[in-house]
Amino acid sequence: MSSQAVLEFARGPFFYFALLFMLFGLAYRLFNVISLGWNKDRVVPMGSKSKGVVITFLKAFLIWPFIPWVKDTFNRNPLIYIGGGLFHLSLFVVIILGTPHMLVWKSLIGLGWPTLPLPVVDWMSAVGIIAMVILLINRRIHPVLKLISGPAEFVAWLFVFLPMITGYMMTHHIGGSYEALYARHMISVDVLMIWIPLSRISHFVFYFFSRAIHGQEFGKRGVAV
Amino acid sequence: MPEETIQQSLASQGVSRRDFLKLSGVLAAAMGLQLPPLEKSGLPAALGVPEQISPTEQTILNALETKQRLPVIWLEFQDCTGCTEAVTRSVSPSLTNLVLNTLTIEYHETLAAAAGFQVEQAKQDAMKKYAGQYILVVEGSIPTDLDGSYCVIGGRSAVEQLKEAAAGAAAIIAVGNCAAYGGLPKAKPNPTGAKGVWEIITDKAVVNISGCPAIPEATTGVIAHFAIFGTLPKLDKLNRPLTFYGKTVHDRCLRRPFYEAGKFALSFDDEGAREGHCLYKLGCKGPTTYSACATIKWDQGLSFPVQSGHPCLGCTEPNFWDGGGFYEGQSAPLDRPTITAVGAAVGVGAALGIGTALVNQSKKKAHKGES
Amino acid sequence: MSATEKAMEAFVHETGGWVAAQLEACTRCGMCADACHFYQATGNPEYAPVWKMELLRRAYEQRFTLVGGAKLALGLDKAITDEELAHWGDLNYEACTVCNKCSMVCPMGIDIGSLLHGMRAGLAAAGAIPTDLAAAVTKQVNEGSPLGMTDKVWDQRLEWVADEWEVEIPRDVKGATTLVVFSSIEVMKFPTNVAAIAKVLNKAGEKWTVSSKAREIVNFGFYEGNEEHTKLFLNRVLEGAKELGVKRIVVTECGHAYDALRWHAANWIPEANDFEVIHITGVLGELVGDGRIKLKPGAFDNDGTITFHDACKIQRKGGHIQEPRDILKILAPNSFKEMTPNREESVCCGGGGGVIAVKAADPVRYASFELKMAQVNSVGAKTVTMTCSNCRLQYTDSVEHFNLDWKVTGLAQMVADALVE
Repeated sequence: MSSQAVLEFARGPFFYFALLFMLFGLAYRLFNVISLGWNKDRVVPMGSKSKGVVITFLKAFLIWPFIPWVKDTFNRNPLIYIGGGLFHLSLFVVIILGTPHMLVWKSLIGLGWPTLPLPVVDWMSAVGIIAMVILLINRRIHPVLKLISGPAEFVAWLFVFLPMITGYMMTHHIGGSYEALYARHMISVDVLMIWIPLSRISHFVFYFFSRAIHGQEFGKRGVAV
Repeated sequence: MPEETIQQSLASQGVSRRDFLKLSGVLAAAMGLQLPPLEKSGLPAALGVPEQISPTEQTILNALETKQRLPVIWLEFQDCTGCTEAVTRSVSPSLTNLVLNTLTIEYHETLAAAAGFQVEQAKQDAMKKYAGQYILVVEGSIPTDLDGSYCVIGGRSAVEQLKEAAAGAAAIIAVGNCAAYGGLPKAKPNPTGAKGVWEIITDKAVVNISGCPAIPEATTGVIAHFAIFGTLPKLDKLNRPLTFYGKTVHDRCLRRPFYEAGKFALSFDDEGAREGHCLYKLGCKGPTTYSACATIKWDQGLSFPVQSGHPCLGCTEPNFWDGGGFYEGQSAPLDRPTITAVGAAVGVGAALGIGTALVNQSKKKAHKGES
Repeated sequence: MSATEKAMEAFVHETGGWVAAQLEACTRCGMCADACHFYQATGNPEYAPVWKMELLRRAYEQRFTLVGGAKLALGLDKAITDEELAHWGDLNYEACTVCNKCSMVCPMGIDIGSLLHGMRAGLAAAGAIPTDLAAAVTKQVNEGSPLGMTDKVWDQRLEWVADEWEVEIPRDVKGATTLVVFSSIEVMKFPTNVAAIAKVLNKAGEKWTVSSKAREIVNFGFYEGNEEHTKLFLNRVLEGAKELGVKRIVVTECGHAYDALRWHAANWIPEANDFEVIHITGVLGELVGDGRIKLKPGAFDNDGTITFHDACKIQRKGGHIQEPRDILKILAPNSFKEMTPNREESVCCGGGGGVIAVKAADPVRYASFELKMAQVNSVGAKTVTMTCSNCRLQYTDSVEHFNLDWKVTGLAQMVADALVE
């Protein structure tokens, strides 16, 4: 099979399947959790729950990522803050502000936006790749991470890493013809999309629950966090 | 008169020795055989007479002086004649004329003066007379559904005619995307079961000069190559001559710096478009399209689609009609789930999720009942 | 039913959408480890909060999710064993004070403390509890107090306190507004605290009472994570309050008891909402703020540097962060110094969550107190005050263990000592 045919498969039916599978799986996971039953909280609050939710989201999006040292744990383990932070920043820049990716969103949701110049996106993707490698090494040597990491963690790492490295290789034309690189990138993306609902990569869905719960719990007690 | 050598034929038509030498240089350039810098630039623009004759040119010179003219049978099936138009008319006329003069065209529906039974008879005669010697050029795709009855010429189907002509051909050249990979007729839903030549003729090498239309210099260059060397040029995996299809349009695009800088035209009449910025966001398929479009260009090197402001459609690639919207980004997925499909996936997922949750809830209740 | 089955059932029972959503959100980044004083003090990776709740996660995945079920069927995960329960019992009861500092650093904002409480529910159901803690629970069930504060002892001690410090302690007064429930730690070990609170409330003219029925606020069922026991002990307090017809219940300087009664009781016993539940720190803040009691400004300014220890259940999880500071600014405007980190980010004393009641936990308890020592020493404080008797017990015990020259006191006591007559 020629690279062009593989690419067509990866951009066509495989992508189609992977996207639908991801949506299906995430809906399953989400509703499985939502429908498990939520006990009504009868406790009389001391502060506002909704205010707590708003504050914690604002802090989580606007403060902690940019000045993480306000957390005293930052000094004890800055690597994971910086590595994790840069990784997510890199994801945001590449997936949202990279031209080719914006066009994917545009074709899927019909909405486009201005993007960053290629060198900026390219450097950020390199930063993301380096961050991932460092985080992997950290996972292999940090005693706690060694203890809590099983095959699932490393498989998830691999499936996130592959689209990043193949995307980088594609931009730089390393290791084959453009469409072969493109095909590899798309296959890795498709695999990732399938793996998302099967793994903890889906945390971006449940993040909004746990963060809101955090805000509620502390807001209820009148503690602004 | 194929018995004449090419040089004799040209001389009898009043082509001087000087012009003949010039032709050798042009052919070398067209085939990518010239030494640097011409080879590197790929541009046939420097068509002047070389100060000295290079070894490559000498080879071509010798070939043209000694070889007989090549008989050509040119079949048209599901085509638009655009490739014929391109070859006969669009390139620097002297080149086309001269190259055509190295050949004897035994059969060509569009160019033949004769018609009907006479011309069909001429074709049969030529195939017999030059069996194993002629070049078969095919233009247009071949319908295979309903026993090929979607395209019937002189009472015989395209498939039958192709197989018959291919049997005695010394070389087969599929000109244009239709003949190479099915082209427009093969686009979804492909009502006629259209196929490219190489899908039907599998026992002989088929050179695919894809494109819509094929770049005329590529067509003539390959024919000249065979005429001179008696062999086919080096091909890529899709049987396209590497000389013309070795690099992508993107690789050689004059708008490439704007791509790197992230400067894009967002519509056909915005500031970016006027400034000549990259057309990637307007759906340019340059990065995955292998063609000499950006170097040889069209109309004597005047321009090519991207230069004149239109994104590359990817016409040298198989299935380019179905390769995503022409004006949609290259990176966009080819198949997009409809709202209904998304709704169904999410709905089924949600329903199963709720179902599982209810089972889980009953597990919780069962526990409560016990305690 | 085997211990494991009981634990699994309890885990299943504990896991609603609230818990499941948070278990699903965990990315296993391990950042919570650095928030845990037990991990910091010992470097034992098993003390990472995420690891302490491992069994709850596995139970959830195995029982409630397809992927977890598939992993179990394929042998990628194993069923939870009795040995594992015992091991996690040690981890949770010996090296976790449920202080919820981990929740403060979790990038996903998971309320890890609550999940660890859910973890305890399973461990308690399986009986994977340290024997001394289990004995204390039994004692509270039978005698009404884990510290052996029976009816009679309670009666004698209060009498003695009233005599010794010459304060009136109204008992079983029907129609009083406020019911004050002391912890046995205060009654038995810090009687000055009882006297101080009585003195302050009397001075403020509060219509208050203690109840012979609701005499113990400490709730070892809550430590243990056993819902039935927790409810039993809560009901004793609520019934006492109901009997006397009070409007509000004041929890004295006890952290987890406040957590249980203020932030959880209503979800187990709806009648809990019939009363306003408030911690003595809140009351002190109110009285000072409203001018019902007057304090001598700078009363403690000449005793060297004073610092304030934020208790996990009263400050971080209780919300009474500002009141102690307002009061200390009056009492010791010049000598009061904050530790870092403080307020809701404070470092736990290391003795809460029942840990101090578990003998086997002594080494890690003292190890984690060294963090506290470093904090206090870095501000050069000679006096440490706080609003939780459990913290105070850990401080006094550790001060003795490490032979420190600090003075450990309670905020209520300081307020009482500084009252303008």
